[in-house]
Amino acid sequence: MSSRAAWPRISIGRFFVFAFLAFAVCFYGIPLLWLFIAGTRSEGSLFSDPPFTIGTWDVFVRTWTNLTTYNNFQIGTWAINSLIYSVGGVALSLIASIPAGYVLALSEFPGRKLILVVTLIAMITPSTAVVLPIFLEMNLLGLNNTYAGLVLATGFFPFGVYLAYIYFSSALPKGVMDSARVDGCNRFQLFTRIALPLARPIVALVAFFSFLANWSNYFLAFVLLSDDKLYNLPVGLTALVSGSGALSNLPANDVPIKKPEVILAAVLVVLPVFLVFIVAQRFVRSGMLSGAEKG
Amino acid sequence: MATLSINGVRKSFGALEVLQSIDIELEDGGFLVLLGPSGCGKSTLLSIIAGLEPSSGGDVFIGARKVNDVHPKDRNIAMVFQSYALYPTMQVSRNIGFGLEMRKVERSERELAVHKAAELLQVEHLLDRKPGQLSGGQRQRVAMGRAIVRNPDLFLFDEPLSNLDAKLRVEMRTEIKRLHDRLGTTVVYVTHDQVEAMTLGSRVAVMKGGVIQQLADPQTIYDEPANLFVAGFIGSPAMNFLNGTLVELDGTLALRHGEIGEAVLALPELRQDAKAFVGLKVIAGIRPETFHAGTGPCALSGVVDVIEPTGPDTLVIFNVEGQLLTARLGPRERPKPGDAMNLVVDTSAVNLFDPETGNRI
Repeated sequence: MSSRAAWPRISIGRFFVFAFLAFAVCFYGIPLLWLFIAGTRSEGSLFSDPPFTIGTWDVFVRTWTNLTTYNNFQIGTWAINSLIYSVGGVALSLIASIPAGYVLALSEFPGRKLILVVTLIAMITPSTAVVLPIFLEMNLLGLNNTYAGLVLATGFFPFGVYLAYIYFSSALPKGVMDSARVDGCNRFQLFTRIALPLARPIVALVAFFSFLANWSNYFLAFVLLSDDKLYNLPVGLTALVSGSGALSNLPANDVPIKKPEVILAAVLVVLPVFLVFIVAQRFVRSGMLSGAEKG
Repeated sequence: MATLSINGVRKSFGALEVLQSIDIELEDGGFLVLLGPSGCGKSTLLSIIAGLEPSSGGDVFIGARKVNDVHPKDRNIAMVFQSYALYPTMQVSRNIGFGLEMRKVERSERELAVHKAAELLQVEHLLDRKPGQLSGGQRQRVAMGRAIVRNPDLFLFDEPLSNLDAKLRVEMRTEIKRLHDRLGTTVVYVTHDQVEAMTLGSRVAVMKGGVIQQLADPQTIYDEPANLFVAGFIGSPAMNFLNGTLVELDGTLALRHGEIGEAVLALPELRQDAKAFVGLKVIAGIRPETFHAGTGPCALSGVVDVIEPTGPDTLVIFNVEGQLLTARLGPRERPKPGDAMNLVVDTSAVNLFDPETGNRI
């Protein structure tokens, strides 16, 4: 057999589809790849060497040291703050949105449709539009510039309510719920014993999206937080860039934060999102309903 | 164990009436089969008995207790669903014992009951598995185990065998029959399969359009169907319907049929009160197995259209004066399409129906 025979024959249409997909992968993937590589390079190398040159271990260690020693490891404080805001926001949004979605999907009560419409409106309203009222509300409650203030504000997650509503209204097997009623479950037990264990994929999905929104939350945090000790990573990263002048072409200064340090800080912001996605997608794909009904 | 009384139960969804004044009495330990085509309301009626669906009127009694407003968990019923409805996140043992768990039965007592039910249904070796790791038949057994473990007053089965393959369906049907014989619990069983209805039920309610067409023991339903719908629904191949006019010839009732009305089928064993219909159009219902080869006044003459050998017998579809009838003959009977054929009818098994009302005369 000649090696030529091993090549699959593809149509022109298919070729263009693959070509477009390859272009999209490169267009969106290359900046991300560059971000992870650039943190290992020196500032000089960033300008003089080819884009995908991998730096040295020594340069990486020096960059890391510069970043972590700056302002007494301030970026570490911001990372911990981000974690607090995100975990708190995720917990609050799950506690509110999963039961809300369940009730909206399975119960009939006056005002149900109105709540669904309001949820949809809240979902499509840009978060920046509600920043000012939230700021005023938190100010009134004395929660501006506190952990609780930002967590409370981000716990409102209408997208999670809508996701849970869609899941419970379409994927929950009616027979299983009926069977549980005959077996003796009351309304609360139906949710906690039957629906919630089955809803692990949607809980993971809502948690993931909520985490993503909270971890990368910039504008609301920027407005509500004025104490730099309470900053989260996105606000802190901006403060780092503007405070050090790392990205502006200013003359050399004594601040050790240059472009490689800023890139490494950006990697720190992005990395947890990757890790959370890897954990969450296992649950999302797990097909928890396997074997529940005929199939 | 308990009796079941359904008095004037109705159900409507807006203007759509899916159940119209249903009345059923089932004796203690009886086996009632609700039989009918899709959309006839049989599953809705079962849901009302279970308390999963509220009725729009009427009463349901389990034993002496009126259960209209009683929660499903307090009706002391157990239900097996068409879809099995096992809890996918729980192991088989917990699936079976979940009803007892919810009733706060002691753990040791619960485990004993689960093992007893599992032993009865031969699923002991599956207790540690999750439903996703079971075959269809195993899931069905677990679903039944979940029902019997609680020793309920009433078993409700909602088309429990319809997702199984033909061989397994026959096995599980026998299993259900054996289980009922052993436990003696009152059963309400929903199916669209007439064989299941005939083999399992002590009483069969044939339903159509939310109305019970006939409620009787299986043999009565087969031999004396109340109307054309029941006659056509029960039996495979279905009952033949021969249109004609009832006449009296020399003191004997007969059916004049055919396109020009010259063919006559003598019906000497017909009930004498059918004489009231002499001169009127009627439909004669003839079961395929009541034919046999031969000639005489009780015979029909026709031309063979198609033959369908099934192994144990041969189905002959033949044309009698423009009407196609099916005869079930012995396996050795192999006429050829186009052959002329005379078939004698066992007239004691013939039913007459009023073509206007569809009711049996």
